[in-house]
Amino acid sequence: MTRIALVPGCLALLPAYASLLDPVPELRAACATAVAWLGEDVRIVAADQGRRVAEALLATRTGVAGDGGSSYLVVANGAATRSERAPGYLDERAFDFDRALAKSLIAPDPAALRAVDTDLSHALWADVATLAPLADLLDAAHLESVDYDDDPYGVQYWVLRWAS
Amino acid sequence: MTLRLRRHTFADDQPLMMAIVNRTPDSFFDKGATWAEDAAFERVGTVVEQGAEIVDIGGIKAAPGVEIPPAEEKARVVDFVARVREAFPDVVISVDTWRAEVGDAVCRAGADVLNDAWGGADPELVDVAAAHDAAIICTHTGGVTPRTRPYRVEYDDVVRSAIEDTVAYAQRALDAGVASESIVIDPAHDFGKNTFHSLEITRRLGEMVATGWPVLVSLSNKDFVGETLDLPVGERLLGTLAATSVCALAGARIYRVHQVPETRQSVDMVWSIAGRRRPARAIRGLQ
Repeated sequence: MTRIALVPGCLALLPAYASLLDPVPELRAACATAVAWLGEDVRIVAADQGRRVAEALLATRTGVAGDGGSSYLVVANGAATRSERAPGYLDERAFDFDRALAKSLIAPDPAALRAVDTDLSHALWADVATLAPLADLLDAAHLESVDYDDDPYGVQYWVLRWAS
Repeated sequence: MTLRLRRHTFADDQPLMMAIVNRTPDSFFDKGATWAEDAAFERVGTVVEQGAEIVDIGGIKAAPGVEIPPAEEKARVVDFVARVREAFPDVVISVDTWRAEVGDAVCRAGADVLNDAWGGADPELVDVAAAHDAAIICTHTGGVTPRTRPYRVEYDDVVRSAIEDTVAYAQRALDAGVASESIVIDPAHDFGKNTFHSLEITRRLGEMVATGWPVLVSLSNKDFVGETLDLPVGERLLGTLAATSVCALAGARIYRVHQVPETRQSVDMVWSIAGRRRPARAIRGLQ
């Protein structure tokens, strides 16, 4: 079985940026559940900064059992312009953009993921560079679970799992 | 160094608030506000609520005044210590006394720390601390008599004097059998010192921290703050907090204070700047 998980590149997940009170406890818990499910041998699909988040999540796993299949941990997230307090301020286009992106991810619809508007995603500070390789992984996959879907700080995060 | 205050242990990266609780009618800052036992007890409840780990109960004001014999000092503090011990089992109880006789009585009533603000004037105090496995605060006064003001005191090097005297006192405590993790040193701002001395002690506090003994600072609303800023008692909080911040950056472990929340905020902020404490909750730029 091939297992694929998606997590956001939220830097607050890094141990170096840990606070006394976790600002993203639900997100962290969802990420932990997803990466534990991935099994032992995990390939990371991420740009440099997202790779650090993925490596940190994998490093904190305990008691992971592998089943010999291949696993992928993909780092991406939606718009960072979903409120006036968001990193990229409020851009109303973020809501339709994220709604469409969520639909494509959950379906999953690889063709739609490959067709995401790169100019708009750039304008909305969305981290979508890995959607093309993710689409390739999802060609024969089905959704296993939605572990997280929220925008606590004006950035759209998903933690999703697929299998094929 | 891990700190043990009798039955209470603290990690070496944890700064501690020691709240002043006066059972005196005439201390300089509160002017008798907690002279009545119930008022003092209420003050303990308040500072515990505010997060103070330690209460420092004193029955004699530091400044000169009416002589308080040991029996009167004990009448002011011993039963009160027992009452606090019973009501607040988790708080560290320190008693501000230089007398071995009083120290013995308060330890029997449940005190954890003997805060000898007068630099070992009673040589038997260390034996009392050892006998009860209590902690002791070793202060520097330049050898002055308890409850006297400094008068034309000068030092070749006040910091060297403070280090030599407090470390020697710590060694004396150690030799008497006080546990090494239960000994704290205190340069004692204003005690046997003019304002210039206290400023220099503050500026060079890192040298005291470098001895390896945990350092207590007692800065709260003192005359060196008032003289530096030309402000009366009651208007010295900001100056106190500035001095507190300098001592915190140097690594002072215990802060003897009147105002707990304000001092806690200052020390937490500096502790985080120094990289010893994580921010409470950081998300800015990390989303």
